[in-house]
Amino acid sequence: MASVTLENVTRMYGAVTAVDQVNLRVKSGEFVTLLGPSGCGKTTTLRMVAGLEKNTGGRISIGDNVVSDADKGYFVPSERRRLGMVFQSYAIWPHMTVFDNVAYPLRIRRRTDKEIQDRVMNALRLVEMEQYAERPSPALSGGQQQRVAIARALVFEPEVLLLDEPLSNLDARLRTQMGDEFRQLQQRLKITTLYVTHDQSEAMALSDRVVVMHGGKILQVGAPEDIYRRPESRQVAAFFGTPNLLQAKVRNCRPNGGQYYKLDVEGRGWSGECHAAIEIPAGADVTVMVRPENLQIGEAGAANGGLSWAGEISQAIFRGPHRSVMVKTADQTLHIETPSLADVGIGRAVTVAAPSDAAWAVRS
Amino acid sequence: MTIIHNRSLDDIAETGPTLGGNAVTRAFSGGSIGRLIGMLALIAILGFLTIYPLAMLLYGSLHSTPPGLAGEFNLNGYRAIMTTQNFLVLINTVGISLAKTVPSLTIAVFLAWIIARTDTPFRGTLEVLITLPFFIPPILTAMAWGMLGNPQVGVINLVWRSISGSPDPLVNVYSYGGVVWHMCQYSIPFLFLFTVDAFRAMDPSLEESSRMCGASRWTTFRKITLLLMLPVLTSSFMLSFIRGIESFESPLFFGLPAGIKVITTDIYESINHRATPDYQYATSLSFAIMGLMFLLVIWQWALLRGKSFQTVTGKGFRPNVMELGPWRWVTFGFCVLFFIITVVLPVGQLLLGSFFRFFGFYTYEMLTLEHYRAVFSNSEFWRAVRNTMMLGLLGATATMALGAVVAYVSVRTRWRGRSLIDGMAWLPWMMPGMVLGVGFLWAFAMLPGPIPIYGTVWALLLAYLALGTPVAVRVMTGAYHQLSYDLEECSRVHGASWFQTMWRIMVALAWPAFAVGWVLTFFGIMRELSASILLYSVGSETLAVVLLKLWANGNAEQVSVIGLMMMLLVILFRWVQLRFIKARISKL
Repeated sequence: MASVTLENVTRMYGAVTAVDQVNLRVKSGEFVTLLGPSGCGKTTTLRMVAGLEKNTGGRISIGDNVVSDADKGYFVPSERRRLGMVFQSYAIWPHMTVFDNVAYPLRIRRRTDKEIQDRVMNALRLVEMEQYAERPSPALSGGQQQRVAIARALVFEPEVLLLDEPLSNLDARLRTQMGDEFRQLQQRLKITTLYVTHDQSEAMALSDRVVVMHGGKILQVGAPEDIYRRPESRQVAAFFGTPNLLQAKVRNCRPNGGQYYKLDVEGRGWSGECHAAIEIPAGADVTVMVRPENLQIGEAGAANGGLSWAGEISQAIFRGPHRSVMVKTADQTLHIETPSLADVGIGRAVTVAAPSDAAWAVRS
Repeated sequence: MTIIHNRSLDDIAETGPTLGGNAVTRAFSGGSIGRLIGMLALIAILGFLTIYPLAMLLYGSLHSTPPGLAGEFNLNGYRAIMTTQNFLVLINTVGISLAKTVPSLTIAVFLAWIIARTDTPFRGTLEVLITLPFFIPPILTAMAWGMLGNPQVGVINLVWRSISGSPDPLVNVYSYGGVVWHMCQYSIPFLFLFTVDAFRAMDPSLEESSRMCGASRWTTFRKITLLLMLPVLTSSFMLSFIRGIESFESPLFFGLPAGIKVITTDIYESINHRATPDYQYATSLSFAIMGLMFLLVIWQWALLRGKSFQTVTGKGFRPNVMELGPWRWVTFGFCVLFFIITVVLPVGQLLLGSFFRFFGFYTYEMLTLEHYRAVFSNSEFWRAVRNTMMLGLLGATATMALGAVVAYVSVRTRWRGRSLIDGMAWLPWMMPGMVLGVGFLWAFAMLPGPIPIYGTVWALLLAYLALGTPVAVRVMTGAYHQLSYDLEECSRVHGASWFQTMWRIMVALAWPAFAVGWVLTFFGIMRELSASILLYSVGSETLAVVLLKLWANGNAEQVSVIGLMMMLLVILFRWVQLRFIKARISKL
């Protein structure tokens, strides 16, 4: 397996910069996801690694080999990069059977019939499609097409596997199932994987590391939990779910003994403790992020450590697994997710609290 | 193609939402009486246009005397066509059609690839130029090439002799090569229109994934692109082959003078060029060729069954565009060369021919405007202009209206008998213009006395209506398929009546297709020669007929003048179409 290295990779379309100075190193065997809204440059980045798009600046290497260097005008075409790729539309060739589709990469490489037979059946077994080998490919369902596409991408044991939103055409239930299956397969084969998606939960569930992109630039790279709990900027914080973002001023900042800092912050009508990644001087403006699921509703006046707000319940929506509750405070409206069991009374005066390790501050 | 199409229509109608079908059906005229009358009227109209001439064709082929005269029934006609000579004619017909289809398809695919998949400069303009020859009446270029490639006085040979000093001509269009060459000029743009959208609509990831699998560009093109296009290529091939067999102008102009006969010219000759027209022979031959066409259509159907790969996923994507580097000027040059040969040369020849006293003698003192004066003071010419315009405007409107109604009934309703009218409207697809002309000759002659259609412009109008209906139905079916049932139902739910819905929703949404079909039918009528030449009489000549008569009298210079007028009309209409109707013709 090989690593993938992007150095200052840039792609311009005329005057428009689709990908802007991207630096990224995907380690051998690692599963890295490019995440971002549509138009953020994630697919373009993937296609540049694939060699389907030429980078106008920077250098891309796969393993120890440079495959594209814009400054030297060096470019290795897709077919010589030894990659496997799964497309969003799966790109299953409709004029071939399932077997022929999967055998294609091997036939191109002129392998013997025996080897083709063995490896294709192995690949199909991997995705549990061996009984469909002789099916004409148009007669497959979406999930089956996806499995065939994965088998085809894996059949010649590529250096790197690239996936462009492979789950987005499936329905929600199948999406989760295929995602989990795929993650297991990837961990078993230890294949270097670069994955593109706009779905945050998919990115978190599958990846070793997530790359959050916006406007052609990388905002943050990190493990899913870091990105979710400890974003480096307000933009990254806002990208996942609908967090409560609160304006506050720092009163005091001290190391908490670990790798983070503990802050005392004060907002309009509330104050308390939270954490941050960097030392922020007293008096600076910060944005404090609290996820809805980390907020608790208690009786009015009952505050204990961390952060707390006094307010009144303005709205409650039953969502099945949980209940979305809006609490109006002096400053703004807080969004809280509570277990859906207990009903909450609209108009009730409550105290909303969060433990200090669930509140994260970034400079605003 | 059409059969496949019809099949899918039925499927759609079968699986269409029950509510939609029933709602529309129930609401029509408040009951089944109105619907019944409507269906009977449609069946009567289509029956007269298609079944009746077909039946008359069979009748005539067994009848010993010309139309309208008493005679007996026998098989002499069929016996007469079973000769070795006619077998050669059949071989000629098929051979010539094959000989033009293969190179045409190759060049058309190459051109389509250049336009759809490379970064050749000015592709948009080139596409318009490449498809222009398709819209020029074949009789014009036939005459122009007759002058360009004349072995004695053709411009090409004059230039060649003066350059090389050789006494022998470089080209002689009066040959097999000439016939094939002239057919190619029409087949290439026609096939181009068919294939270019298949190139455009292909999901690029189908090719990209092949490259990711390690296949080079060329391997990908061979193993993926071409194979994915196989259904389109097969159906284009068959269509072009069938049209080659139907072709009349090319073998008439370039084949007959060299003694090369094909089936269409043989039918024409046996009626128009014999001391006593042999109607029974011509009719038997017509019926036989229809049998051949029927077999071809069945074969096409069998070839294509289950092979329509859905390569269009409905998602927006831009096709893979290949960067050719300096080679893009070579591909650019190829497209321009094609345009020069198929349009600039013939039109230039018409221009040249119209200003000199005799074509072939291009010296200063031979310059003259007398041909323009002669044409413009010729009352026969003006009558032909009036006839052609009248037939074109009326014919195109009537054909499209009929097509719109037939397509609506067969696609959007579940009325009983809709497959029948759909099938009837499709019948003329198998009938070359020449065959339909013969059929109508009999049909009009057998009508009771008080209906004097034969010999009037109405005879031509009816023939054009029959010839144009299959295309009109196709165009409108395509348009209706793209309109979801919701649009109609929503209008009904919100209080519009059936007729209001028709007018405000269906007509409003389908009119671009109607307009495209209208222009196409208009062009079709303007260029029609093979049925017209059988059905015209003094007073009802069309421009194409007048051109042919002038040419036969050796009046090539006046032909050039009229040809130029028609060319102007073609360019004007094409411009209007491109400018105002965005919908693509190639959606056929």
